[in-house]
Amino acid sequence: MDWSFVTQYGPYFVNAAYMTVFISFWGVVLAIAVGLLCAAVEVGRIPVVHGIVRAYIELSRNTPLLVQLYFLYFGLPKLGVVLSSPACAIVGLAFLGGSYMSEALRGGFEAVPRVQLESAHVLGLTRVQTFSHVILPQALSTAIPGVVANIIFLIKESSVVSAIALADVMYVTKDLMGMYYDTYEALVLLVITYLVILLPISIIGTVLERRFDYARR
Amino acid sequence: MQGAEILLQPGVWPRLFQGLWVTIWIAGVSVLLSIPVGLAVGWLMTLRNPIVRFIMRLYLDFIRIMPQLALLFIVFYGFARAWNLNLDATSSSLLVFVLWGGAELGDLVRGALESIPRSQYESSYVLGLSSWQTFTRVILPQAIRRMLPASVNLATRIVKTTSLVVLLGVVEVIKVGQQIIDANRFQFPTGTLWIYGVIFFMYFFVCWPLSIVARRLEKRWAHD
Amino acid sequence: MTERLNVAVASAEANRPELEIRHLLKQYDNADKPVLNDISFSVPKGKVFVVLGPSGSGKSTLLRTIAGLEPIQGGEIVLGDEVIGQGDPASGKSRRAGAAGVAGQSRSSELRTRVGMVFQSYDLFPNKTVLGNVMMAPTLVQKRNKEEVKREAIELLERVGLADRQDAWPHELSGGQRQRVAICRALILHPQIMLFDEVTAALDPEMVREVLDVIVELADQGLTMMIVTHEMAFARAIADHILLLDGGKIVEESDDAEAFFEHPETERAQQFLKTFSYSRNRQEGDR
Repeated sequence: MDWSFVTQYGPYFVNAAYMTVFISFWGVVLAIAVGLLCAAVEVGRIPVVHGIVRAYIELSRNTPLLVQLYFLYFGLPKLGVVLSSPACAIVGLAFLGGSYMSEALRGGFEAVPRVQLESAHVLGLTRVQTFSHVILPQALSTAIPGVVANIIFLIKESSVVSAIALADVMYVTKDLMGMYYDTYEALVLLVITYLVILLPISIIGTVLERRFDYARR
Repeated sequence: MQGAEILLQPGVWPRLFQGLWVTIWIAGVSVLLSIPVGLAVGWLMTLRNPIVRFIMRLYLDFIRIMPQLALLFIVFYGFARAWNLNLDATSSSLLVFVLWGGAELGDLVRGALESIPRSQYESSYVLGLSSWQTFTRVILPQAIRRMLPASVNLATRIVKTTSLVVLLGVVEVIKVGQQIIDANRFQFPTGTLWIYGVIFFMYFFVCWPLSIVARRLEKRWAHD
Repeated sequence: MTERLNVAVASAEANRPELEIRHLLKQYDNADKPVLNDISFSVPKGKVFVVLGPSGSGKSTLLRTIAGLEPIQGGEIVLGDEVIGQGDPASGKSRRAGAAGVAGQSRSSELRTRVGMVFQSYDLFPNKTVLGNVMMAPTLVQKRNKEEVKREAIELLERVGLADRQDAWPHELSGGQRQRVAICRALILHPQIMLFDEVTAALDPEMVREVLDVIVELADQGLTMMIVTHEMAFARAIADHILLLDGGKIVEESDDAEAFFEHPETERAQQFLKTFSYSRNRQEGDR
């Protein structure tokens, strides 16, 4: 194991890790926003928009991120819309992630038993109070495992953005392997970098899951 | 919008479908081979030997936490150097997908088996059924029903993940599309849009039916 | 001489109890109190034994050890003139949670068919129809002829009023219906004794009656049974013998159900029965 490689090129991986985290973070945030919107539309059963949302969910869940990214990065410019690599990546992740988040959140809302709403009603709570104190906490509690799983999924999917020339961890690995043939060291750093990013989130997810588990108790 | 004529060029559709076939073939073989691996993993996970369970846990957690693209790189570029195992892109992909699909399937198997209430085992016991009879006639049918929807979803995910093999150089549908785009770069500059659009919908029409099947199965057996 | 012997043997057989429990002990390794502590009683053929007691008293566990679902650490379980369960002090590890399978006494299939049991959870096999559920064990385990089994299965289903549902799937039935099917499923094996573990506790009140009616009919036909229940009116009517369990010990027993319910002897029994009666303090002139 060539330690000089690690010291020399480690910083590249660290920068790449920042890029991965940056892209994933914004992708996740936007995905959750989109997801909340879609979940609200679906649960509220708003007539026409509901159909559009459903179509969006089916289309984004049944196609690979790579194709979506290529379309955004290579295809859109032909229509005059040019997005930078990071922008494409974030939009792509938000597009794909939004539908997954929507399903997880919707499941959370639909899992709140009707009797909870009725109990709130006979206690005299207003609709807003019911939503914020009764529905939302329980919905989130049910939805958290799904949301966390989706976050981890999106971070992993972000590895694909290397295909549109974004200097994330995969890109750096491929680059270094191509240039210096230190495949073994590069791959080890690759594994370590992803573990460092994903393990903590996985653990935080488990902790959050347990802390907010009151819906199931 | 013009540029759509690129789709009318000779050979475009046949080539795209050929590429699609490669995609489906890789996904199909991976799914098929994942089944025995998944069953083995699921069974191993229910054993009481702590060493076995620890190794399985390690394998499962690693495969599921690493991005698939990283796994592809590790096998394709890494194995060649480390163990002098020169797998071509397709074989590397198959290996990764089978290991990954098998791990996910194994987890599904374990979850399904564990979700069967103890009372099913006890009812079989007091009726005098042997362990084998209990497993094959009572437990297994129920476990399969519980896993099937999620398994079909897994198959869908495998199909989508095969898109990554283009980055290893495998000539599947995306690669074919890119070749077509390149070849027609001057004649049909907007070809990119159309070709990627077609590829997008090709994936959609392969995966969407699977999703629907999974949902139907889930509804049908939701009462169990 | 042989004649006298035969008569002696016959009367001895007639007198021997169907089920005998001798000094049964069940205790987990890490517990300081036994779940079942030196329990002894015998159930004559054709009699109905009702086991009552507060939760945690060990009533269900008692039935489960008799059925072979759990090991015992001391004492003997005797069915007919065969010892079917022996206490083994080394078997006291707590039940392993989550592992598939039954941590029982590993009895032979044939022996298991002689002790029938119906649980609280009316768990039929969801992947088989009603008829399939009832026919499964006699064909697979007792290897009886399929046609004959089918005839008997339909006959049993008729007796409990479900012959028209023989091709239904379990999820299409109500809890009470499922429980009746579970009873048929156990009966078709012709067990020597039937165990009922709180079989109506999870049912809606309207369905409790239909299940208990079936059990009363079985008792009238001379089936030997042990019942754990909270339905006091039912217990009072059906019991030939009552065992009151508390903290793993038999606190009181009685051959006369009426006498037990009217005038319980021990204080513990009186306390227990009080939990089922209600009264208000009405003042003079309230009504």
